[in-house]
Amino acid sequence: MAGFRDRTAIAGVGYTRFSRNSGVSTLTLACEAIMAALEDAGLSADDVDGLATHRVGDSAAPSVVGPALGIHEPVWHLDQFGGGSVSHAVIGQAALAVAAGVAETVVCYRAINARSEFRMGGTGRGLPVSPEVQYQAPYGYVAPPQQYAMFARAHMSKYGTKEEHFGQLAVRQRASAVKNPRALMRTPITLDDYLAGRWIAEPFRLLDCCLETDGACALVVTTAERAAGLRRTPVLISAAAWGGGDSFLSGGNPDVTVTAAAEMAPRLYRQAGVGPAEIDVAEIYDCFTYSVVVQLEDYGFCAKGEGGPYAASGEGVPVNTHGGFLSEGYVHGINHVAEAVSQLRGDAGDRQVDGAEVALSTAQPGYILPATSALILRKG
Amino acid sequence: MSAEAIRPVTDRDSAPWWERTARHEFAVQECETCGTLRFPARAYCHRCRTPRWRWRQIEPVGRIESWIVSHQPFLPGAREPYVVVRVRLAEALECVVYGNWRGDGPPEDGQLVRGSFTAVDEALSLVDWGPAG
Repeated sequence: MAGFRDRTAIAGVGYTRFSRNSGVSTLTLACEAIMAALEDAGLSADDVDGLATHRVGDSAAPSVVGPALGIHEPVWHLDQFGGGSVSHAVIGQAALAVAAGVAETVVCYRAINARSEFRMGGTGRGLPVSPEVQYQAPYGYVAPPQQYAMFARAHMSKYGTKEEHFGQLAVRQRASAVKNPRALMRTPITLDDYLAGRWIAEPFRLLDCCLETDGACALVVTTAERAAGLRRTPVLISAAAWGGGDSFLSGGNPDVTVTAAAEMAPRLYRQAGVGPAEIDVAEIYDCFTYSVVVQLEDYGFCAKGEGGPYAASGEGVPVNTHGGFLSEGYVHGINHVAEAVSQLRGDAGDRQVDGAEVALSTAQPGYILPATSALILRKG
Repeated sequence: MSAEAIRPVTDRDSAPWWERTARHEFAVQECETCGTLRFPARAYCHRCRTPRWRWRQIEPVGRIESWIVSHQPFLPGAREPYVVVRVRLAEALECVVYGNWRGDGPPEDGQLVRGSFTAVDEALSLVDWGPAG
């Protein structure tokens, strides 16, 4: 994949305010984040020839956002069905389109009112996203916290992972959010606070679970050459990978403590020409605490089974420097990529990781919809 | 679970499986070409990729692979905590099922369990799980 490596770049990032009730449509959120990202890059909407997002029927499509911003003739767009497992695939596909010369400047966005309008995992009565839902919803097994709790329990049974490991990770991510002006949750917490939290679905307590957030985030993807001439330090897309996971339909993963990321990570690292030891900062999909624990293993930062103690220790690779979904806000993955861009540009303020040159950012590792995706970014 | 059960949204592959379950038959599909047992129902074998199959009744017996105690009322009317188990079937090790727990104490990792049918009405039964033997 040397033909793809570092040929495209992220030239700008933009956000809306994060809140629990935006009071506006997802179309408005999308437009605001896109305009902010273009401003950051020093570009205008007239420079945009592609738009990309992912949705689960809960947000404004590129075919709506484009005309709304006067982008009348996009040469490429992507309206990907899916949730957190495809968040990074959207950016990877935009980079492919740019690297192939199909488009020159693609804005990737995700705009959600995930608290005030469309909450994830309602009652299972909606249009099923997978044929598996019918075998689970009648038993009251409908929501992502329940699904992830099931897999977390298996990891605890097999490897002795403890609730305190999850708790320490939540405490450390909150400490990062305290330094992040965008973050919704900026009051420090202790392990006792974590342990005193009410049960959501045992073994998960309240602070194992991500926020539900209204907000949007956008990224400008263009060629490395063009990005080099723009106002911001370019952040090169060194690798983008996709992976398929297991489900009922694939015969039942015999070991649910291993995710699709374990198969995909070596391909991702090969594309980028680096390994986990070269990753300076990792922004890891944290819909729940356990999601970080298992990915630290499956992306090779520690051995299988050691993710709990590794995550709890705070040693090793800096993780979720913005506070993650647990404490910054939940924008379904793209805000993890945006934070990686900030870290590599060196504009992350009080939470800056000194000398960050290479970053990993990951999507939902393949438990709920059986797919995952990830990016490796490099300071240009 | 104390909430009113959500009726499954069946599809053209799964409807016959739900009909059998309503008759309190516990069945999976058996590939006629390679013998692989599969669940949930669909036309093609994921192993040999051929479409010929038959139903095979098996014992509703398996082992606990994981479980949760759900507290948050995700469903209307779900006031009390309830246990959802994930069971790997003993006769079909590639097949896992979910259900509610009917044991006195909490389930244990690896515990041998047996399914039982709970009739919701004539057209729908659910399969719950409790200690075997």
